[in-house]
Amino acid sequence: MSVTVADLVAQAVAAFGVLAATAEPVGEELQYLVDLETVWGARLRAVAAARGAEPAPRGAEAAIEALGAEAAAISDPHRAIDWMSTLPQVALVALGETA
Amino acid sequence: MRFMEARPDGRAVVYAHIQADPLVQRAADLLATATTTQRLLARAVMNGQSTDPDRWRTMFPTLFGPEAPPPGDSARDRSEAILSASLEVADRGEQTRSQFRGAIVEAMAECLLAQRTGPVHRERRILFDGRPSEIHPYDVTVEREGAAEAWDCKWGARGIKGDVIHQLDDARRGAADEGEKLLVGLVVFDARRSCEVRLVRERGPVALEGLRLIALEGLDRLAGRKPA
Repeated sequence: MSVTVADLVAQAVAAFGVLAATAEPVGEELQYLVDLETVWGARLRAVAAARGAEPAPRGAEAAIEALGAEAAAISDPHRAIDWMSTLPQVALVALGETA
Repeated sequence: MRFMEARPDGRAVVYAHIQADPLVQRAADLLATATTTQRLLARAVMNGQSTDPDRWRTMFPTLFGPEAPPPGDSARDRSEAILSASLEVADRGEQTRSQFRGAIVEAMAECLLAQRTGPVHRERRILFDGRPSEIHPYDVTVEREGAAEAWDCKWGARGIKGDVIHQLDDARRGAADEGEKLLVGLVVFDARRSCEVRLVRERGPVALEGLRLIALEGLDRLAGRKPA
């Protein structure tokens, strides 16, 4: 059975959660973290709602897996915050969406 | 309203060495003519952990995958050149890479603006009659009579802070008080969504109508083009 867009959105959201946990110690940015989770979570969920059952585009599965590995490797909380803005865009492009 | 050279301080002297590094201009030139996805690649790599080029190629199948332009195609070559330059920046160490990234965004903005208008300058102060002069210079200015512009450049949305917004707005109002027009804005090498949430939280009493935001997806607007 082929991997769907919804499967990969779920993986991207999980990787985003890993970044959010890494970023958490930066207390003064808590509001920004919440805002990022709100807007990017909504954007990713919208893709799953619209195209969730579609087979994932070619190369997307490996892309999201690599993206998850990169997110997991980030240990610096400040870098994790920056990546919370970048990871969803990279995932969206891999899924054939506009950034 | 008049533009002046910034007073050199210790930070400026050190930063000038970063700005003069050939890698900064090489990356800026590549990014000035890049697509949004290629710019996103640069942002991810320059801010990333991995220095393995194949991991990045895997992450961007539309640039390097089987359905991407083949090696030898100019678009593919540009993607490879951007990946290579970005990895060089990432390899400089945390403190230095941060300075490089800032310098690259400024140089890219200068390059893009120069495609539309001019004269374009870097690190300039703006003075107004009867107002105390700002110490902090604007990153890039367009000093064209009747169509002047002042831009602050940021690597990421987190660089959008209340004092930056206030200073830009203050310059715009200062120009208006003298009957002159000054377009002010932020150039941010980050996702528009992230910039917008940051801007709304940080703006304080400043009305955002007079402030332009050029985010990663819309950088070509600086050059007067639609996003590629």
